[in-house]
Order: sequence, then C-alpha cells, then structure tokens
Amino acid sequence: MANTKKSYKKITISRLLAPIISSRDVVTILEKTIEKTNIKLVDLDFSDVKFISRSAAHALLLMRERLQAKKDISFINTNEDVANMLRVVAANRIIPKKQKPEFNPKRININSFFKEVLT
Amino acid sequence: MKKIIIPKPQNDSLVAQLESLYRTFINIRPRENLNFDLSSLAWVCPLLILPISAYINNTQSDCEINNSPIKSYLERIAFPGGIDSISLFQQRIQKHKSFIPISILKKDAGSSRERLEALFEEKIYNILGNVSGAQSAVCYPIAELVTNIFEHSKKDAGFIFGQFYPAKNYLDICIVDCGRGFATTYKEEKRLKLSDIDAIFEAMKGNSVKPDKERGYGIRTSKKIICDVLKGGGFILISGSAGLVAAAKKERLVSFPNFYWQGAIIAYRIPKPLGPLDISPFLE
Repeated sequence: MANTKKSYKKITISRLLAPIISSRDVVTILEKTIEKTNIKLVDLDFSDVKFISRSAAHALLLMRERLQAKKDISFINTNEDVANMLRVVAANRIIPKKQKPEFNPKRININSFFKEVLT
Repeated sequence: MKKIIIPKPQNDSLVAQLESLYRTFINIRPRENLNFDLSSLAWVCPLLILPISAYINNTQSDCEINNSPIKSYLERIAFPGGIDSISLFQQRIQKHKSFIPISILKKDAGSSRERLEALFEEKIYNILGNVSGAQSAVCYPIAELVTNIFEHSKKDAGFIFGQFYPAKNYLDICIVDCGRGFATTYKEEKRLKLSDIDAIFEAMKGNSVKPDKERGYGIRTSKKIICDVLKGGGFILISGSAGLVAAAKKERLVSFPNFYWQGAIIAYRIPKPLGPLDISPFLE
C-alpha cells in the first residue's frame, strides 16, 4: 500500500534504473538513493517497469530487509508480472524449496556428439 | 599473428554453428592473438559470431572481413567492435531496422547499462510480436544470464547479440563473457575443485556459489523457460573445456578436447511464439 502521509519520498524506478530491471547490482544504486533521503517513508513506484528478474527481485527484498529499521518502504504501481515475481521470491525466501532438481544428462565427447548429431 | 579461417557451418542448426565455433578455437593458446578470416562464411548466427567478437575485443585480435560474402551484414551488426551506448544502439536500430547490433554491457555503466539491456530486450520481444506473456518469457533468460556475468565472471563487460530469421521464423540469442568461468568461480568462492564439466553440472543442479539459500535458480530456470515455455530449438552453455547441449528433448554434458573458452558462452534458439506464454509455473 502506498504511503499516504505528506512526508514521504517517491522514487520512480523506471527513471532511476530502467524499464526492465535485470541485474542484481543495480539495486545498490537504488539503496544509495534511499539512504540519502532523511525521510522515513519511501514509495518505490514501479509505473512503466515492464519486468523484473528473479535476481533483481531477490536483491530488492534483501535491500528492504536491510533498511527496515530506518525506512518504511512500499512497492507501488507494480504490474502483474512484477508483482508475481516479487511474491514468488518473497515466498521462497520465507520457505525455501528443499528439493533439488533432477539433472542427469549423458556425458559425451564433442567429436562423438558431432558424429551422432550432424551425420 | 596466427590466421584462423572460420569454417563454414555444415547447416543452419545450432549444433553445426557449435562445430564451427569449436573448430575455430581448437588448439588456441590462452589469449593468443589471432587474425580471423571470415571469407568462407556465407551465413552466420550469434553462437558463432558473438564469441569471435568478444575474443577480438578481449585480446586485441584482428579480423578480415573485406573478402567476406557477408561483409555488409557484419557491418550492420557492428562486428567486431559492437556498441556500448544507448544513443549508438538507437541510431543503429533506426538505420538498420531488422538488425540488432552486437551490444557490450559494461558493469561500471550502472543504470545506463541496465537501460541498454532493456532496449535490447524490448527490441527482441517487439520482433517476436505482441503475444501475451512473451515479454516475461523473453526477458527472464536474458536478464538472469546477463546478471550472472556481473555477479560471477569478475569481468567488467558482457556481450549480447540476437538475430531474428524471418524466413525460418526463429530467433537466436547469444550471451558471452570472457571472465573466470564456472570451475574457477566454484574454486574461488567455495573452494571446490571441479572439472569444467562438473562445474556446469553443479550449476545446473542449482548449487550456487553464493551462501544464500534461495540462490542458484538463474541458469536452470532460464533453460526451462527457453526449452519448455518458449519451445526452444536448442540451448547451449560452454565454459572452459566443457558444455551443456540441450536440444530435441535430449541433454548432453559435452567435453571439448583441445578447446578452452575463458569465461562462458550461452546461446539458444527460440521459435516465434504462436500463442500465449506463461512462465509462472516455472518461477521458483
């Protein structure tokens, strides 16, 4: 929910970062911007943000946890895809999946592989 | 400077491009200065051309394209130097509408790099058409695979390139870095001594080099989205002397004797989507 008091800071994510948030490391740019403000209530406005990667969503949630003693951060105007990604990552942060995936591919030398596939 | 004639791929499959890439770099010493001769190529796809571009940029190697039948194509995609700014990307896209230039993403550029990557992704999903869910399906693997470069490679630049083939109705994407590679990352971050092939195996099992519990999803979920949601025609990952090749419902861990890619190469092929796509069942 958006902060309703007047003394809040709104940060437009698409303007500060990009309309597609891919990389984990750009969250540090956002964190520095939030830390610079002396206002406690911060709205992160996701208008015009079309997509956020899983990694960036994870970094964003970690940032929110780090700053929660000093700042009250809200995510506003998220589209459905961005909201879904944040929800999935937040849920997995609370209860991580324990099961590792099945992955047992055949091992092969590249020359045998080319012979098998290309001839 | 050693001259390398890039062999013509046997056909237009990803595996045939992989074979040409392997034959191009076989028996090359680390960071050896090379002169690439592209005169035998009548056609090229991102899996072959982007690693060569990255290698040239990373080693100050050279290339000969004047005698190449695909000279004008290579110029349109900004081979070998690539472009590294939003303004240059936009200029190129205006001038050559169906060609996306080779893009160099620089870590230090921060939000400018993020915007350049966003432009690349927007261009890709605009090409694929206005299909519900395509945006997330296209962005997820690119975003996760690129962020891996800046988190793990210890290099300050990554290379990305895509090409849509309208007559064949598919899109090829390649992402490359010249960093430390998977095995060295496990060794330096987790003190695990793994062969290149075992390092790829660990990454695909989701064993992250980072201590956080909820990490290690990037590559394997990207592969799932490419192969299962986008019905991809192939996914190839190479690091050091090994690779993973997933195509036609088969996955192979492949060793590449007398070949060593310093860093990582990821390439995949996706058909133009015909109906709505949904990545949500694959999100973890």
